[in-house]
Amino acid sequence: MTSAPKNQGMRQDDLTLASDAQLVVAIGRWRQEALAEAYRRHAGAVFALASRVLASRNLAEEVVQEVFLRLWDNAERFDPERGSLRSWLLAQTHGRAVDLLRSETARKGREEREHRGRAEAGYDLEHEVWDLTVADQVRDALGALPAEERKAIELAYFKGLTYREVAAALDQPEGTVKSRIRAGLKRLREGLADAGLEVGV
Amino acid sequence: MTHEEIQELLGAYALDAVDPDEASEIELHLRDCPRCRAEVAEHRETAAFLAHAGADAPADLWDRIAGTIDVPAPVIPMALRLGDRARDRRGGSWSRPVALVGVAAAMVIAVLGLQVRNQDQRIDELAAELAASDGGFAAAVSHRDAEMLELEGATAIPVVVSEGKAWLQAAALPELEEGRTYQLWGAAGDELVSIAVLGRDPGVISFDVEGYALLAITEEDAPGVVKSANPPVVAGELS
Repeated sequence: MTSAPKNQGMRQDDLTLASDAQLVVAIGRWRQEALAEAYRRHAGAVFALASRVLASRNLAEEVVQEVFLRLWDNAERFDPERGSLRSWLLAQTHGRAVDLLRSETARKGREEREHRGRAEAGYDLEHEVWDLTVADQVRDALGALPAEERKAIELAYFKGLTYREVAAALDQPEGTVKSRIRAGLKRLREGLADAGLEVGV
Repeated sequence: MTHEEIQELLGAYALDAVDPDEASEIELHLRDCPRCRAEVAEHRETAAFLAHAGADAPADLWDRIAGTIDVPAPVIPMALRLGDRARDRRGGSWSRPVALVGVAAAMVIAVLGLQVRNQDQRIDELAAELAASDGGFAAAVSHRDAEMLELEGATAIPVVVSEGKAWLQAAALPELEEGRTYQLWGAAGDELVSIAVLGRDPGVISFDVEGYALLAITEEDAPGVVKSANPPVVAGELS
């Protein structure tokens, strides 16, 4: 903590110009308008990801609320040197959404889970990808991945499956699937960099 | 798992696509391995691009969030209550230089204990922060102007203050149930400022203490509040 004067924070209209890291500092000082600005910048992506994983608007809204309240409370846990605020928020969103999904799945029981696994295998994933409102470069980079890598990443990220479940759904060895997820993410990162989207950490 | 086996799983881990026992093992490894940490961070940045969407979040959702965090509560009465209780019970002020050697020794042991735990288990950032702050702490304790005091209440919480910085050993506070948290407050004049949310099982906390006449710790619902309506668990005046 610094001993900067407490009443000389940025004025509200300056917050739109603040960096994400500055916003988080202001949030740490309980400035609600800083949280509002972070929400304005990132809640769209957070909500889109939660909706997509959970396929439920209500649950997605719960997750958005939880993620931003957690930021409000634990702003100090965000370390700008470890990555962007957006990826931090999205990683929390994804983790929380997947938790909800899995507890829901566990509740419904093993039989249905197996059914779900089989259903995923026949799902038209390619179609889903093109439905996404993603930036052209991201779509291109994703489209440039080998199909097997792309499918594995999509099932894991958007459907919340574990790599074992992905392996079962695609009828592939588990070892192959975990390698494909990792290799695919690396390839995707290079593709994004080639398209001018630097993945900085 | 070997280092190679863990590396192979980092992609799946970054997408929350590993089993819980694998996740725990990986997390343990990540504490020690900056290279693997960097790789996970990179995967997460990459995945963040996949989530990119142009649409806005529902308009009414922000109002609900803002409504949740906006917790108006009386501020000044709490400080008054503190003062009243202190005077009733002790007939004097809160501040009291405590048995200097004893507390200093206890705190040094506590900090050393944490360092050992840090080396053993390589716990986490918090431990790293403590280890880093220990230099300041040791200097603070030995500084001739260092002041020792206690926050009193349900239990006694030692505090060392030196050159505008304070170290507080909160380990004596009982662990709270899930969903509750301790919160540290500083009073400057009539204003009560939240210094930190301490979590439900806090240890050593260091913070800037300049400008505060009084410190208090309250028990709150996680994730903490902007203004507390609860009586303090412990409190004490700074001289």
